[in-house]
Amino acid sequence: MMRYEWKKIFERRLNVIAMVLGYLLMGIVVYSYISQEQFYDAATDSYAEGPEAYRMELEMAQGQTDVITEEYVTELIRDIQNFGMDLESDEAYTEVIRPLDDMFYFVAKSYTDMGEPYTDQNALNKVDLKNGARFYEQRIEKIMHFLNMDFSYGNYSEAEKTYWISMAKRTNIPFRWGGKAVMSIVGELTFVELYLWFVVVICVSSVFSSEYESGAAYLLLTTKYGKDRLVRSKIEVSVLFTIGYLTVGALIAIVPTILILGLPGADLPVQLWDSVIPYNITIGQTCLGTFGLILLIGVTIALVLLCCSAGFRSSMTALVIGVAVIIAPMFFPMSKESGLWNHINYLFPGRACNLKEVMSSYVSYAFGNVVISYVEMIVIVYMVVSVAALMLIRRVFVRVK
Amino acid sequence: MELILDRVTKQYKNKIAVDRLSASLKEGVYGLLGANGAGKTTLMRMICGIAEISSGEICLDSEDIGTMGGNYRDLLGYLPQDFGYYPNFTAMEFMLYIASLKGLNRSYAKERSKFLLQKVGLTGEMRHKIKTFSGGMRQRLGIAQALLNDPKILVLDEPTAGLDPKERVRFRDMIAELGKDRIVILSTHIVSDVEEIADWIFLMKQGQFIAQGTLMDLKEHYLEVAGDKEPEKFNLEKLYLFYFSEERV
Repeated sequence: MMRYEWKKIFERRLNVIAMVLGYLLMGIVVYSYISQEQFYDAATDSYAEGPEAYRMELEMAQGQTDVITEEYVTELIRDIQNFGMDLESDEAYTEVIRPLDDMFYFVAKSYTDMGEPYTDQNALNKVDLKNGARFYEQRIEKIMHFLNMDFSYGNYSEAEKTYWISMAKRTNIPFRWGGKAVMSIVGELTFVELYLWFVVVICVSSVFSSEYESGAAYLLLTTKYGKDRLVRSKIEVSVLFTIGYLTVGALIAIVPTILILGLPGADLPVQLWDSVIPYNITIGQTCLGTFGLILLIGVTIALVLLCCSAGFRSSMTALVIGVAVIIAPMFFPMSKESGLWNHINYLFPGRACNLKEVMSSYVSYAFGNVVISYVEMIVIVYMVVSVAALMLIRRVFVRVK
Repeated sequence: MELILDRVTKQYKNKIAVDRLSASLKEGVYGLLGANGAGKTTLMRMICGIAEISSGEICLDSEDIGTMGGNYRDLLGYLPQDFGYYPNFTAMEFMLYIASLKGLNRSYAKERSKFLLQKVGLTGEMRHKIKTFSGGMRQRLGIAQALLNDPKILVLDEPTAGLDPKERVRFRDMIAELGKDRIVILSTHIVSDVEEIADWIFLMKQGQFIAQGTLMDLKEHYLEVAGDKEPEKFNLEKLYLFYFSEERV
């Protein structure tokens, strides 16, 4: 039975066009990420491009240090302060920032207040080095300061503060250092995969509704297994299609990158992306986690859409709902008054699938003394929605119209 | 085997599509005749379990068909009116797909499909995609799929629509043959189809049976009610026109 359901998906012209375009777009993004990277080569006073730029960035990072020690950071900041420059100036970019590249931005961001949208480059000029850089101490102080701030939409509860501080303190220090440029594009490519959800929406939206549109539903529902195995088979095929399509999309993104650049930096701690992240995982694991979220949310979208497809007689209606579910919440603004709204807003697909942002946001859901982290809440919510959709699909399809 | 309709009613908001119909059906061919909107298709869908019954019940051998679920559908063959095919499926793929939904094992399904496709004259086209078929060929394929599980209750909604006269005669004979050991319910606009093969005829109007019986019963009734003095010129078409004429609406 499943064989025929696969056939229905793959023989619909719109589906095939969408699938091909989705992968084509992914290929173009991969190509542009790899080819457009630039790195300033001081020896020749020129910019290296493409794979060579990545190779040089890696070499430079490896030459800086293996571990971010207090001594290393103290010396680095002292050297920077000795220039006595406004670090936002063009001159400072040439003299100070460009030679340090990623290291400068990593350290500057570590001394920028949490919640600031941009890295305060001059933050390093303000660091008091009397007792050294206190890099890891100030990391915890920065997190505590953020947790104790007054927010117009509501403050952290004591339980949440305790939860996050304890998490942050458990982070393995000192951080290992190395080239992370390649893994940064792997992370972005994994996130870009969310555009493939649109292909899933196009292909899944017609799974049930096309049976109504053609009138075949009347026939299918009178067969022995038309009200159970058929529904199960359509669900299984849709879920497998979603997982398969997104996985192949990930392979299209990652395999050429690995073949050309390898995966240097996959074993580095995720704190090199943002030092406040309170989880002990590597950058590679974070990329895998992002892919896991893309899959989980993608499957949930597919199941909800199957419900719509079974309930509406028009594939177009289901498709419009699917696209709206992905796009519309991206434009929902965060509220200055309602913490509840913000906590709901965080859970919509476009925001919930970027694990790096999720982990560094310090968003949590407190129910009395019970604190559920943002990551856990995403998994819980999408699992619950998936199960609810699974239970509804059959009821909606066999409901006599 | 006995299929009983007990005061079966279907109501859509303010409109009653089927109004307290009762009947007892045993093996044989039952013809439903009526104008568009008379409630024939709704009644057939209720018999097939795809339209909810507003009140009343339909029972097979004293068991409610709703509670029989898959066991009832296992006994059912249905040819809906204007139903969709999958244009990119071949005739054989379509038959095997429906066979899998009817729970036939693959090897038997293949044999049975070949047999039925041959019976409806589509042997040469079994590997052709359905999108290349004419309306008549699709209708023949529809009849073949309805017979896949050798159903004990066969419901055919306009089975001869789109068939040419030669095919129609062939299918009339086939349906008459099938009615010997199963319940066949067919609806049609084509009066002569019913006249030829139906053992029992229901005339439907505004959701009700306005007349029913064998052709002879209906003839006697007609001659009496219409005051027609020419019994030798009687045919079902005359009766149909009598019941469905403007004046009687």
